[in-house]
Amino acid sequence: MPKHIVRLIILIVAGIAAGWAAKSYFTAESFYEYGHYRAASVPEIAAQEPAYQTPRYCQACHGERHAQWSASNHKTVICETCHGAAQGHPQKAKLSIPADTRKLCTLCHEAMPGRPRTQPQVVLAQHSGGQQCIVCHNPHAPKIAGVPVKVAGDAAAGATKHAASCAGCHGAKGISPNDTWPNLAGQHGAYLARILAAYKSGDQKDVAMTPLAQALSDADIQNLAVFYAGLSCNGTATKPPAGDVAAGKALAEKNCATCHGQTGIASNPAWPILAGQKGGYLVNVLKAFRGGLRKDPMMAGVVRGLSDADIANLAAYYAGQRCEPTMQVGRTP
Amino acid sequence: MKKTNPALAARRAFLRRLGRAATYAGAALGVGSLGGVQKVAAKNESTSGTGSFPTKDYDWTKRRWAFGVDATKCIGCLRCVEACKRENNVPGDAHHFRTWVERYVYLEGEDKARIDSHHDPVNIAASGSEREYRFANRYKDAKVEKAFFVPKLCNQCTHPACVQVCPTGATYKTVDGVVLIDEKYCIGCQYCVQACPYGARFFNARKGVTEKCYWCYHRITKGLQPACVEVCPVGARIFGDLNDKQSPISLFIRNNRVHVLRPETGNAPNVFYVGLDKDVV
Amino acid sequence: MEPLFHAATYTGYVYPNETVIPWTVLIVVYPYLTGLVAGAFTVSSLYHVFGMQRFKPVAQFALLASLCLMIFVPLPLLLHLGHPERAFNAVITPHWTSAFAVFGYAAGFYIILLLLENWFVFRPHIVQQAQQRKGLPGWFYRVLSLGSYDLSGKAMRYDHKWIFALAVTGIPAAHGLHGYVGFVFGSVKSREWWSSDLMPAIFLFSAIISGVALLIALYVLSCKLRKTPVDRECVKGLGYTLWGFLMFTLVLEGVEFGALVYRGREGIETILEYVTGPLIVPFFILQFAIGAVIPIAVLSYMFWEGTTGKALVAGVTLSACLVLFSVFMMRWNVVIGGQEISKTGKGLVDYQMVIFHREGLVAAASVIIAPLVLLLAMVRLFPPWADNAVPSSAPDARGEVLPRVVTETK
Repeated sequence: MPKHIVRLIILIVAGIAAGWAAKSYFTAESFYEYGHYRAASVPEIAAQEPAYQTPRYCQACHGERHAQWSASNHKTVICETCHGAAQGHPQKAKLSIPADTRKLCTLCHEAMPGRPRTQPQVVLAQHSGGQQCIVCHNPHAPKIAGVPVKVAGDAAAGATKHAASCAGCHGAKGISPNDTWPNLAGQHGAYLARILAAYKSGDQKDVAMTPLAQALSDADIQNLAVFYAGLSCNGTATKPPAGDVAAGKALAEKNCATCHGQTGIASNPAWPILAGQKGGYLVNVLKAFRGGLRKDPMMAGVVRGLSDADIANLAAYYAGQRCEPTMQVGRTP
Repeated sequence: MKKTNPALAARRAFLRRLGRAATYAGAALGVGSLGGVQKVAAKNESTSGTGSFPTKDYDWTKRRWAFGVDATKCIGCLRCVEACKRENNVPGDAHHFRTWVERYVYLEGEDKARIDSHHDPVNIAASGSEREYRFANRYKDAKVEKAFFVPKLCNQCTHPACVQVCPTGATYKTVDGVVLIDEKYCIGCQYCVQACPYGARFFNARKGVTEKCYWCYHRITKGLQPACVEVCPVGARIFGDLNDKQSPISLFIRNNRVHVLRPETGNAPNVFYVGLDKDVV
Repeated sequence: MEPLFHAATYTGYVYPNETVIPWTVLIVVYPYLTGLVAGAFTVSSLYHVFGMQRFKPVAQFALLASLCLMIFVPLPLLLHLGHPERAFNAVITPHWTSAFAVFGYAAGFYIILLLLENWFVFRPHIVQQAQQRKGLPGWFYRVLSLGSYDLSGKAMRYDHKWIFALAVTGIPAAHGLHGYVGFVFGSVKSREWWSSDLMPAIFLFSAIISGVALLIALYVLSCKLRKTPVDRECVKGLGYTLWGFLMFTLVLEGVEFGALVYRGREGIETILEYVTGPLIVPFFILQFAIGAVIPIAVLSYMFWEGTTGKALVAGVTLSACLVLFSVFMMRWNVVIGGQEISKTGKGLVDYQMVIFHREGLVAAASVIIAPLVLLLAMVRLFPPWADNAVPSSAPDARGEVLPRVVTETK
């Protein structure tokens, strides 16, 4: 065989051998271990850190919210669906509290063709009157007690009942003589009816009120509510309770105004008017909410974190507000 | 007392590979006398140890994952899309999705559905940006005959076309039934993107590799649910282990008449649907 | 800053991920180059294996052209990869169920085969230069000669056996390589436009016509540059070859397209919408009318009339250039077209080629031009012209500059 052919063959064979050796040298360590892939890549992928931590993770610190949420009909919507992934929280990342609930809630609840009928849906323009959803709905327990009870009763019958059962404490004209008992004159009827019904059913308890309310018939409650709502709250200004009114105002604007109004006049008749209310009563009620003695999903969240001083300031502010004789009639959503 | 020195381990690995290379070279040359080196090297080779694989708490031979979608429940809120993007660090634009939701709307007098998803400019405009996800309420004033949403994701097919065409073995089917992508091995040829009949794969230009849904493998191997399942507010997404007869997915499949997408491809997908319709692609 | 990706606009409904077209103009260039290789090699085999003497003037040139083109075939793929540095993963751990896994081996094998055949064909020239040249070129030829200057009758007989064997091996290799490129597309079941059993055959035949056409064009051009008379018999033979294979290609494409429309499977409305809309210009006008019908007509007319002389050369060359263009458009319409028709069967994506980008027009054009530049250099190192290939005819062939060679051959 000619020399060049021999040399060529040697070159080819050497090339193939080198190529084959290079192939086996560069084959990744764990390749072929389980199949035609790098086995080591499986644990690598499995080792990634989850971003979403599940409600159990949130529960550790936010137990109260968690309890409220998990009993609500929003329990299928996990914390992180609205607040974002909890990875790195609380150490590094602060989770957001969505500010624009009109944008957030409509993601699921905007009436839209294609959404199953069972999904609660609203046409925002007709539903909210331009307000944020959170004004009426607690996202952690969205089914609201805030839907006003229809109030239809006989004011005269209410006056009779009042004179018989209530006037002793709440005053002949619904203006309480005692700083720790609430004024009822001019209060929203729907709110009064709801609270009386709650005392009657036992949802809300009070040593004095519970037996009294239990003695009331449903019609009595309606009559009383209409009666009080029609009374004038004027002339109720008493001595302003101790507290920093300016600080109370600032706090009220931040925490309370969306529901109870800037000056304590709630726009929704299901919620109480606070303007001109007895300062001592306000302090007691807020503390009762804070301590869990009075239960309301919305209020529980709002008062959490309020100090005694905060409560005194708030009470001072609201008690000092003027309550108007003719209450604005709240809109019915 | 045996202590592993990283440098030593690296050198050992190198020698092992060299030994293997030498063996093949030797075999190719017809010498074959270096065969012993290979055997010795093979004995030391054990990357996974003796316990379970892929992690010490998770044995993939025990599971057979499957996914269910109840399209009749989906409300099109796109929380799943957002969660997926965040959980898996998916590019936040309207052209790369590991999971997405399609909307089908039949208007009165039209026999073909109008279909859109988040890459539709109208929907991008409605959500405000490509990084926020919301369906535009574009049909609210139209006469809608029928409308519904269909969530989509990787089907983790039993006979995955993507795995078939991968030239390197950078994508593969795991024992527990998920198709994974080895980001460190993928060459980025995008053949798999072409091969997937469901459009589930996309090319991540920043990473230079292909990417797709893997049912949050890093979560399900830790006992968690995939992120999209976790955040779905209406339970339209169902996930679980087929080996467990009482798992949500087993019950879902047993109690419903389920469909799969594009069965004619022979891919044998593993996402099972309830509430599909003739025009669903 | 260059954007990471280019999102395409679309009509109808396409999957969100489909709005980024995965395979761009580079993947159009890739089968185009492969096809040119297969075609050019076919012509050289017609001489080396089948002994068709009229192709002798271009046989060696065809071989050299094949090599130059083949060397650049992997380039468009590499430019396209997300991780070009990992390209060898497909060779280290080839996943044989993938059509792409074969590529590294097929291309590697084929490059080596072409190198060997070229080496044997040009060995007399190498040996002669190794003995005559000094300095760096001398070294270059001496290394190539493997230190053996044996040009004896016995050695030459060995060489011819090798050339024959390599050429015989090369035919299935070249055609296999290109048929396989067709398979890369034809086997993708998710795309109706590609998914066809005829795809490999169509690719193969269009490859052959493109290679023949390239040879015609380059040969005539080279004759003009060298101021050598064109071998008209050779050109006529190439013209016949082109005509025959072109007919075959057209029939195959027609059958494939007809079957696609006739079967009318899911999504056919969208395909028809595509064919009668965006595809009219690139497919019917550019690829079919200008690129195929005109050459067929011109060639048929000339053969019918028995045209000879300059008119024949001009006509065949014109047809060749049109066919080259047509085949490029065919690659374009297959590769881009397949991706413009959505997998949903309910929408169309609109691919817009970018100019300056790793996967843009400039890169693609460079990849096409690069093998021609290499070929220009190679014909100086290894003159393939049969008319001056007689050894020792150029005793002081130092001609690095083409015009020098030209004057000598005159």
